Amino acid sequence: MMTGAGTHGEWRRRWPGLAVTAALILALVLSAACLTHLRNAKAAYSEAQELSRQYRTEQAAAAYKRALAEAALEAAKKPSAQAFMLKGLAEANLGLWPEAETSFVKAAGLGFGEGEAWASDASLLGLAVSFQELGFREPSLRVYESLLGKSSFRPVRLAAAERYADLTLARALALADAERARALADLVRTIERLEAADFACGYYHYLHSQAEGHRGGFRRGYEEAVMARELGLPSEKVLRDNDNQVIFCYDRQAAALGGAERAALEAAHAAWAKKWGWKDARTPGWKTE
Amino acid sequence: MSKKDIENALDRGVEILEEFLPLQTTLYFPILYSACVWAVRRVFDYRERILSWQVWLDPEAVLTKPDEFILHFFSTDEALRKVYASELACRDVKALRAAFPALYPVRGLEDAFLKALFKKELAAGDYRRIAAEFATRAAKARDDIRPAAANARFWTALENLGAELAALGIHLLSDEDVEKAVVRAVKKKAGRGAQGG
Repeated sequence: MMTGAGTHGEWRRRWPGLAVTAALILALVLSAACLTHLRNAKAAYSEAQELSRQYRTEQAAAAYKRALAEAALEAAKKPSAQAFMLKGLAEANLGLWPEAETSFVKAAGLGFGEGEAWASDASLLGLAVSFQELGFREPSLRVYESLLGKSSFRPVRLAAAERYADLTLARALALADAERARALADLVRTIERLEAADFACGYYHYLHSQAEGHRGGFRRGYEEAVMARELGLPSEKVLRDNDNQVIFCYDRQAAALGGAERAALEAAHAAWAKKWGWKDARTPGWKTE
Repeated sequence: MSKKDIENALDRGVEILEEFLPLQTTLYFPILYSACVWAVRRVFDYRERILSWQVWLDPEAVLTKPDEFILHFFSTDEALRKVYASELACRDVKALRAAFPALYPVRGLEDAFLKALFKKELAAGDYRRIAAEFATRAAKARDDIRPAAANARFWTALENLGAELAALGIHLLSDEDVEKAVVRAVKKKAGRGAQGG
């Protein structure tokens, strides 16, 4: 009968490389566990982007949250430029601007070049939001306008566009007719530039429709709202508001038309309403009455 | 689907709310009802859903609607058209615009939480009261929910409840039945409270 020590000694003599191999396997398993968070974060982020492309915005937001949780775990365990970059991107897509800025700054500090520009854009956006919350509308409007012109980071452009449009429309309401018309024409031109660069973004068409509604462009407002609905919108409430805008522009347009033109509009609208599963021409599916 | 199972799940929902919001019984109906509304659609990110109505308290999105849109909103909603008939007759946009930020999220966007918060007024058609009290009551609800809203366990418990309700087939019940079941669960709790205290 062999003793345990003898067994161990023999084992080591017979398999001199086994201990080293076992240690290597253990190291690989442990590093795979670390890599899992980064890999999971990348997979969730890719999934979120794919879902966004398919305009499945609710599922996309859930995937961005998963990406954020995994990237945060990775960044805490093993800080790297890649981990902070992914964390920042997920945060930006979820509208968590101060957090995104911090992550991008850390990514840049760890050697990720692009992080610097994105951190600066996220920081500027955060600053403009603070200005707006403190009641300084003009400075915040200028920052949003500047971001719309120069930022190559889509989440920043979208957030800046939303706030720029809201502030411009609020200001337009207080202006005299001629000045209001000029302000709204400028806003429409800005939105058209954004649409030209990213035509498939439903949110820009939603903003366009809102602006057209202000200047009485009900036909164009209707078309843009229909396009926004077809291309997808970022939240249930924006979608509902857009549905209300479709009905508003449809009613206003129909009231101004007569005869064959009106019949054609009614037929086209009935087709859209059917496609969207509405109860009738003026009752979206989510309406309870 | 067993209606009894759903009622039992809603009773547990009330227990969750008792644990996290022991003194805020007025919030039980809005929170549970919105959880049910989203469970029907198999959407469970309640933290964002239930708190998202705050976005619409942000004046920009609602206050920037043009006069024509506001007039259209009041004149095409049958109930509002009756209540605001005098303002509509003289195109008193100023008065309608003042009521719009309260009534548009509740009637126009049908926010589940806000609808439940103003259930009594909606049932009575008392839209002027909603307009008058919206800001204070919505702000109070936001403040009252804050202690629980900061607790991740609260949202997890609520999301689990939603998943359970969905699995039990809550989508097979009508809106009216869901509302009745939630009211029953909340009233049962109130009854227990009255007996106990």
